[in-house]
Amino acid sequence: MKPVLTLDHIQKYYGNEGNLTQAIKDISFTVEDGEFLGIMGASGSGKTTLLNCISTIDTVSAGHIYLDQTAVTDLKPKQLARFRREKLGFIFQDFNLLDTLTLRENISLALTINKVPWQQIGSRVQEAAESLGIAGILDKYPYQVSGGQKQRCACARALVGNPRLLLADEPTGALDSHSSQMLLSTLLMINETRLATILLVTHDAFCASYAGRILFLKDGRIFTELHKGSDSRRTFYEKILNVLTMSGGGQTNVC
Amino acid sequence: MYAKLILRNVKRSAKDYLIYIVTLTICAALFYAFLSITSRYYHPQTGTEYDFTVLGDSMKLAILSITLLILFLIRYVNNYMLRRRQKEFAVQSVLGMEQHTISRLFFAETFLLGGICACAGILLGMFGSQLITALLLSQYDLPFRLSFMLFPDTALLTLCFFALSLLVIGLFNVRTLRRIKIIDMLAADRINDPQLGKSRYMPVVTVLHSVFLLITVLSGISNMRYYFDPRFPLPVWVMFYGVLLSPALAFVWPLIWLAAGACTARLQKRRWSLQTLLAVKLLFALLNICLFASVPRICFHYQISFGSSALGSDTGANRYLLFLLADLSYLICGLHYLAGSALNLWKEKRPAYTYSGQNLFFFGQIISRLTTTAKSMTLICLTLVLSLFLFLAAPALTGWAEGYLALRARYDIQISTSYNNVSEESDLPAGEDYELVSAFLEAHRIEKKSDCTFHLYLPRREEFHNRIKWDFPVVAISLSDYNALRAMQDYAPISLGDTEFVTQWQSIATEEEREIFLAEHAAVQTDAGTLTMAVIPDDTLPDGQKPLYYTEALGETLYNRYTDVLYVFPDAVCEQLLPVMRNRFLQTKTPIAYADALQLQETFMAQYPEEPAGGEGVNYYLRTRTEQVNGTKASIFITHAAMLYGGIVLMVICLTILSLQQLLDASKYRCRFGILRKMGVEERDIEKLIIKQLGIWFGLPVTIAVLTVIVLAAFFFTTIRQQIDAYIGLGTLSAQVALTVLVLLILLVCYLISTWILFRNSVEE
Repeated sequence: MKPVLTLDHIQKYYGNEGNLTQAIKDISFTVEDGEFLGIMGASGSGKTTLLNCISTIDTVSAGHIYLDQTAVTDLKPKQLARFRREKLGFIFQDFNLLDTLTLRENISLALTINKVPWQQIGSRVQEAAESLGIAGILDKYPYQVSGGQKQRCACARALVGNPRLLLADEPTGALDSHSSQMLLSTLLMINETRLATILLVTHDAFCASYAGRILFLKDGRIFTELHKGSDSRRTFYEKILNVLTMSGGGQTNVC
Repeated sequence: MYAKLILRNVKRSAKDYLIYIVTLTICAALFYAFLSITSRYYHPQTGTEYDFTVLGDSMKLAILSITLLILFLIRYVNNYMLRRRQKEFAVQSVLGMEQHTISRLFFAETFLLGGICACAGILLGMFGSQLITALLLSQYDLPFRLSFMLFPDTALLTLCFFALSLLVIGLFNVRTLRRIKIIDMLAADRINDPQLGKSRYMPVVTVLHSVFLLITVLSGISNMRYYFDPRFPLPVWVMFYGVLLSPALAFVWPLIWLAAGACTARLQKRRWSLQTLLAVKLLFALLNICLFASVPRICFHYQISFGSSALGSDTGANRYLLFLLADLSYLICGLHYLAGSALNLWKEKRPAYTYSGQNLFFFGQIISRLTTTAKSMTLICLTLVLSLFLFLAAPALTGWAEGYLALRARYDIQISTSYNNVSEESDLPAGEDYELVSAFLEAHRIEKKSDCTFHLYLPRREEFHNRIKWDFPVVAISLSDYNALRAMQDYAPISLGDTEFVTQWQSIATEEEREIFLAEHAAVQTDAGTLTMAVIPDDTLPDGQKPLYYTEALGETLYNRYTDVLYVFPDAVCEQLLPVMRNRFLQTKTPIAYADALQLQETFMAQYPEEPAGGEGVNYYLRTRTEQVNGTKASIFITHAAMLYGGIVLMVICLTILSLQQLLDASKYRCRFGILRKMGVEERDIEKLIIKQLGIWFGLPVTIAVLTVIVLAAFFFTTIRQQIDAYIGLGTLSAQVALTVLVLLILLVCYLISTWILFRNSVEE
């Protein structure tokens, strides 16, 4: 399999000379095509910073990021915007839907920004909505639907443009356990049927257990890596918990 | 600790509400500047001829009442601040702060902010005050010298006024804050704006408009009955039937809609929506506006009147101005109400446009805002119309008054009489010389330059008892007296044959009136025989001659009541006629001081009362130039200043609210534009979206208001066209209007640009 995303000795510093915070010390890894990668870590371990750097919302202090052999870190602002809208899809913890648009329009917007001809938009939105089970509520506004439905809409918006990489930042953070489970199953289904490459950032072990491989971050470095392989999800979940315990967190660490 | 909290909050608010603060400061500055001329310490160098105390109280009252409008602005912004800060208040309450402490803190904060604005305003007002002084002195044709001075009484009044306003609004806020439950405060930012569909205001406005339509229809019927003549040309036919039928149809249409609604409900079909009702009604309103606006033009062109009042103005035209206003207001309400639906329709019908680039986002931004703020947008638009109209009407009205003054105050002293209340010929003031005036002038060492005491005669004695207003007799003056008056105004004397007469015209008389009169009065029957009109040769006319007449301004008291023309007869003829009025016009070498003028008037009135005892007898009038100029200029200045002040305040309030509506929701917008950015929209496109959004936001109400004002101004200027021609001149007025428009445009652009910069900054943060 060919790599979709490659991170080469990434570093990220905040602040100035007198007060320097090193959010990412040195991280390198590769994401293969069609992979479902999870990134875990406690608060302050550098998860979100890493995701921001990959999504080009933030810049790196040192190192290179390649997506499909393109050096993202060398792109100019105008190319970055183009890169984001063509190659990446986002799912956020707080959904980030536009409250002035209906769900259908929210999904369509991702396509219109990509300059897809309007004749194709209707059918593509419908298709994405059906695969996520929100076809019946497409003409409602975000404030008229539940959190789970909102997140599935955000998911449809991220997927409708067929991005090379789907970035999900704590997508279940604002959802109840049932909605979380439904969303994660959907993500897994997308990963398996559409062969979409997904990068999921979370601190929740259950959520992470849906991924195929997990990177554990601690203090800005990769602490360890875990492969699901042929394990069942339950076994994988327990393995994750064990790693968390080792790294100084997780449920079994409570005395 | 609390003081620190207040100061911090004020600092933070200052950043968020910059435009509001600037506006409040400007308002305080204007308030101080305009009020400064009513100060006890205000003494511009004007000599004894002028007295500024006349300005005092009426000016103060005018300014105070206009400034009350600022209360709305303060209330609006405070309401918004309250809504936005509720979550913060909730956190403070949860932490254990008592609710009345919170409300007091908020009160102190707004009070401090307002206080700073008022103080800054007073400082700025010291400069503004100089501008107003310059305006005032130019009104009196006096030179202006720059001098800075702080008027303590005005400053105190300004501070008191603003303190009181802030106090009143602050108390409202305290009450509101105390009543809100903590749980509601916590959830405040999660509540969506109310949906427009539920709002009942448009149906109510429609019913009110229907009442107006009914009055219009009734008035149209009465016009048809009293003034319509089948021989009128086609445009007049169209006007008469148009102003009757179009409102009638507009009135009937909602009833049809209701009936159709009832039928379809029975047949269980889809009903016509409220939008259909309104859209058709708006079309009718537009038609009405066109028809009403054509009324003064057609009336002027075809010399048609719908009845006129004693003042000579056409009450019919005034009535149609009212109907026009009603229809324009309705159109504005409707346009704003329907704008959201119209955009939705456009969005659905044009998918190719909707689904291209960021248009979908743009539509969402505009439609969500339009549907929730239609009412306030309508109000802003109507206020803008009022403000713009004040700006445009001010030069016309003051020019009119000034021009009239120039024609009226032709002599230093004018004594005139009226015989309206005299029923016996023996009671007429024949031979009266008003010696008392000469004695007074001598006693006050005022030298006479020229003096003329003269009679005005009735051509025929039997006309003395004719007191019908529209058929009031034209009076005559003898040639020698007429020449004496001409000499007083530096015009060359005229001559007449023994059996000839000429006419002298007031400037307000129109050319058409003059032509009709001259054609009908080629000869005049008098008690001393028939006189013929003097003519001069004119080769361009078929009979080779045209009647001779004069239009020089010789004072307005030279004519009989309700007439615009005066006959000039040979002296020998006048000797045989009945003298009905006795006038005396005087020019002095030096101007009469204001105090002397008042004293002279009092002395004169004691002997020659303006209102005769028992209502029967001669009415005597004495007018001095000093008093006329003083009184008129003062009232012109008050009107002008109040209109300008009102216009500026209203305009500034509207623009501030428009820009605050955008800036105050910046956090919401920041989030929305942030999403776009994450989705990969380029910065350039985001910039374009911002400009488009602000363009629509300012453009829609401003365009509607400007279009409305153009219609109104056209109507207004056509109605008073005669006065404009007579007293101002179209060129001067156009120049003044153009200048006003330019200044307003600059003001608008300033607000637009500052809003744009602030908006961009807050979205980019």
